[in-house]
Amino acid sequence: METVGAIEAGSYGTAKLNYLNNGSTLKSWLLTKDHKRIAIMYLISVSAFFLMGGLYAAAIRLELLTPASDLFETGTYNKVFTQHGILMVFFFLIPSIPAVLGNFLIPIMIGAKDLALPRINLLSLYIYWIGGAITLWALMQGGVDTGWTFYTPYSTTFSNTYVLAVGVGIFINGFSSILTGVNFLVTIHTMRAPGMTWFRLPLFVWSHYAVSLIFVLGTPVVAITLLLVAIERVAHVGIFDPALGGDPILFQHMFWFYSHPAVYIMVLPGMGIVSELLANFARKRIFGYEFVAFSSIGIAVFGFLVWGHHMFVSGQSMYASLVFSFLTMVVAIPSAIKMFNWTATLYQGSISFDTPMLYGLAFMGLFLIGGFTGLYLGALGLDVHLTDTYFVIGHFHYVMVGGQVIAYLGGLHYWWPKMTGKMYSEFWGRVAAMLIFVGFNLTFFPQLILGYLGMPRRYAAYPPEFQVLNIFSTAGASVLGVGLTMPLFYFLHSLVKGKPAPDNPWLLPGLEWRTSSPPPTENFDTPPVVTWEIYDFGDESGLDLEAAKREAATINA
Amino acid sequence: MSAHSHSDKFVYHEPGLQHQFDDMGQQEESVSLGMWLFLAQEIMFFGGLFTAYLVMRSKYPLAFASGSNHLDAFLGGANTLVLIVSSLTMALTVYYAQKGNRNMQVGLIVLTMLFGLTFLGIKAYEYTDKYNHGLVPMAGLNRRVKADSPASEHVGLVLPGETAVSASEAKPGAEPYVNPHGEFQWREYELVQHMMDKQRAEPNGHYLTLNEQLTYSTSPGSLVLDKDKFRDKVRIFFYIYFVMTGLHALHMIIGLGIMTWLLWMAFKGTFNAEYFSPVEMSGLYWHFVDIVWIFLFPLLYLLGRHYEHLGL
Amino acid sequence: MAEQTTEHHNPHIEVPNEHIGIPGYLGVFAVLVVGTILTYYVALMDLDWIFPGANTLVALGIAFTKMTVVGLFFMHVRWSPRLVWMSAVGAFFWLTIMFAYTMQDYLTRGTGFFGH
Repeated sequence: METVGAIEAGSYGTAKLNYLNNGSTLKSWLLTKDHKRIAIMYLISVSAFFLMGGLYAAAIRLELLTPASDLFETGTYNKVFTQHGILMVFFFLIPSIPAVLGNFLIPIMIGAKDLALPRINLLSLYIYWIGGAITLWALMQGGVDTGWTFYTPYSTTFSNTYVLAVGVGIFINGFSSILTGVNFLVTIHTMRAPGMTWFRLPLFVWSHYAVSLIFVLGTPVVAITLLLVAIERVAHVGIFDPALGGDPILFQHMFWFYSHPAVYIMVLPGMGIVSELLANFARKRIFGYEFVAFSSIGIAVFGFLVWGHHMFVSGQSMYASLVFSFLTMVVAIPSAIKMFNWTATLYQGSISFDTPMLYGLAFMGLFLIGGFTGLYLGALGLDVHLTDTYFVIGHFHYVMVGGQVIAYLGGLHYWWPKMTGKMYSEFWGRVAAMLIFVGFNLTFFPQLILGYLGMPRRYAAYPPEFQVLNIFSTAGASVLGVGLTMPLFYFLHSLVKGKPAPDNPWLLPGLEWRTSSPPPTENFDTPPVVTWEIYDFGDESGLDLEAAKREAATINA
Repeated sequence: MSAHSHSDKFVYHEPGLQHQFDDMGQQEESVSLGMWLFLAQEIMFFGGLFTAYLVMRSKYPLAFASGSNHLDAFLGGANTLVLIVSSLTMALTVYYAQKGNRNMQVGLIVLTMLFGLTFLGIKAYEYTDKYNHGLVPMAGLNRRVKADSPASEHVGLVLPGETAVSASEAKPGAEPYVNPHGEFQWREYELVQHMMDKQRAEPNGHYLTLNEQLTYSTSPGSLVLDKDKFRDKVRIFFYIYFVMTGLHALHMIIGLGIMTWLLWMAFKGTFNAEYFSPVEMSGLYWHFVDIVWIFLFPLLYLLGRHYEHLGL
Repeated sequence: MAEQTTEHHNPHIEVPNEHIGIPGYLGVFAVLVVGTILTYYVALMDLDWIFPGANTLVALGIAFTKMTVVGLFFMHVRWSPRLVWMSAVGAFFWLTIMFAYTMQDYLTRGTGFFGH
């Protein structure tokens, strides 16, 4: 990890020593302390888990094509949706943006050489691998059928599946998130370059600050909860089992204390990316920067006060339900602030519809639906009707997939030239984005209707009158599947045959566009000093746009 | 804390400075903040257990009081003092590390470790006692005592100063202690019986909570003690006791591992006024573990002990 | 936080190395020992005549005092940057959230206006 030497200006691609070609042995990857290499290893691992979770999703949609439970036994179906949930939530959605894009970009965006605690960063990757390996082993042994929520006493007393092993896997994996969160918080506090004040931080960094708070303060609670479930399964003593004097609702309190904020872990980083995309591709300073920044913190803090809305019908006191329902309405405010500010940012902007921006705009529409359906579910009376129906499934997929996955893909396209030094095919990028948008809505909008009509979640069979909408949903899932597979191919193709990316392909002022593509191991040849305001597209940004355009033209020629 | 100033013209690499930092001040600030955030997550980690304790205690206060009274508060108190002494020696280790006094550092780290080991020893003694008396909440993990077998045939440890209770040697008047399968046993129902009787005599009194009146009775509201139901609630106390103290002991063991490494580093004379943050960080961890015990001691050993005044 | 300051908080320069010195540490130690002995004996007294649960309150009060002393002096929070204060206090605040919002459910079950 030596400092990169002086490089002649105007040399691109492989000629230059960068983090990718600085050492090519397996050891130089597995023992690296470079946040960028760790991010790339996270990218590969997270994609593998996404693929596995996606296959389970395909299996679920195939089963639900017909009213009878004909593809799977009902018990197998329970395992399929559980494993889809566990892989997607704990091993894809939670680490996806923070561990891949956050890891790669936060030090660059704040002008640091690395994260503050690089060894801890590597440790978190290994913990993620160990937790993932244990979970995968348990899935191969026969899996688990409790639902990703592990509700007691089913998980502690009655389920005959590998609850213990999966619980241990997720317990271990939790510490990966915690360490990542600690690392980000420390880095953002102590590693900012000269002149990089708090209000010059990109909103991507602000949203990761908020997410890290949740990582540090929430994840340990779910870890201890799963530990208690595991002990209870082994020792048959119950604080969660009513037959032994325990209280299953205590489990739900402890579980949702983390897992509701975890929902914000699964959307806040996406909001950070979308703030970047909308401001940069509208080439306009984001409207109400401070409000967008603090609304992230607001979501993180208020997100801890609303967990009881998962428990309206599970025996929680009516008073507690009222309080939690009220606070759920309150937490909608910071999300709405973001939506209004994004819309105002687009107003009179000079918008370009590059692939990343398509994802950014898709996010706005889909998150709007996801957020509003969330208010339906937070309303105490309506929730009684909608609990455990496909409306819930539709709602959180609009937030998780329509929010986080769409934003993740947008971010991946946006920073792909920076990460790899290669340009992907813009044409296929746009085609994939459109397919994903259409396929996604076709999959999940029927589910909102199905749920409102009363189709319960977690059943392999359903009454025949629901079949038409389910066929729509499965057809949409096929389109979505094709759309999600396409980036895999054109990204890999770009690595081999893609055009070399200029340092600043989108002609933007952010700090990450002021280093080479891909960046050197220590991120900048000379440590940057920030003298311009964030999202400043005028002359004050000190960025030589003409030079960047010339550079891009040289490469294209 | 602040945007750091750095000059790329004069890069002066101090020993112990990692490549991503510009100067020692930045490194120490980062490491210390990282440690504190780690401790914050530790607080939440134990916090989950404290929540479980809080909820369960509020549901079954009398069962928890009975369980508390059965623990050895003297040993618990002694252990608290042992940990406090070890915290003092740890604080002094940091003090002498800042002074660069190698011999004092080494001596104090050894002392800290000795007190840590003492703590674990006393804890092990207590655990063994629970094992002998059928108070481990998991079936099969207690000493097996068959009816009418002599003490010498019992499987398991007998603590010094204690004779193994066998069925034939039991106190006159008491039921013989028999536990052939090593299950959880509970034999002290005087306190709850007393409260139950009073509650029956004064239905409007507050001797038992409403929840207790329902859950300790043979049938809801009968106010006739169901010993099995009460035993299950005491078992929950011992479950929480073992999980909390066990997790705490695990932290102590990890702490001893850190101390061993620190001892080696201090022995080599690594630390001085310029570079002592590993000592300081280890100290933070050690003090945190002490603080957890400061709360565990009253919550597990002391609350409910005032019922001893009833003379039951 | 304070983005105006451009200099690092440097423990070598700003903070006296000795903090409270050996007599200070011994004083803190004495407080802790006294607290431990006190909490033991108070627990044996029946304080229910003051109000039910007085014993619990006293025991926790002593524990909090001991924790504060250890934190401030042994862990040097007293001399630490504001950020350290915030992470220590913040974690306890979050723990309070967890206790309070869990107990607002348990304490309003069964009886009272909202009972069912």
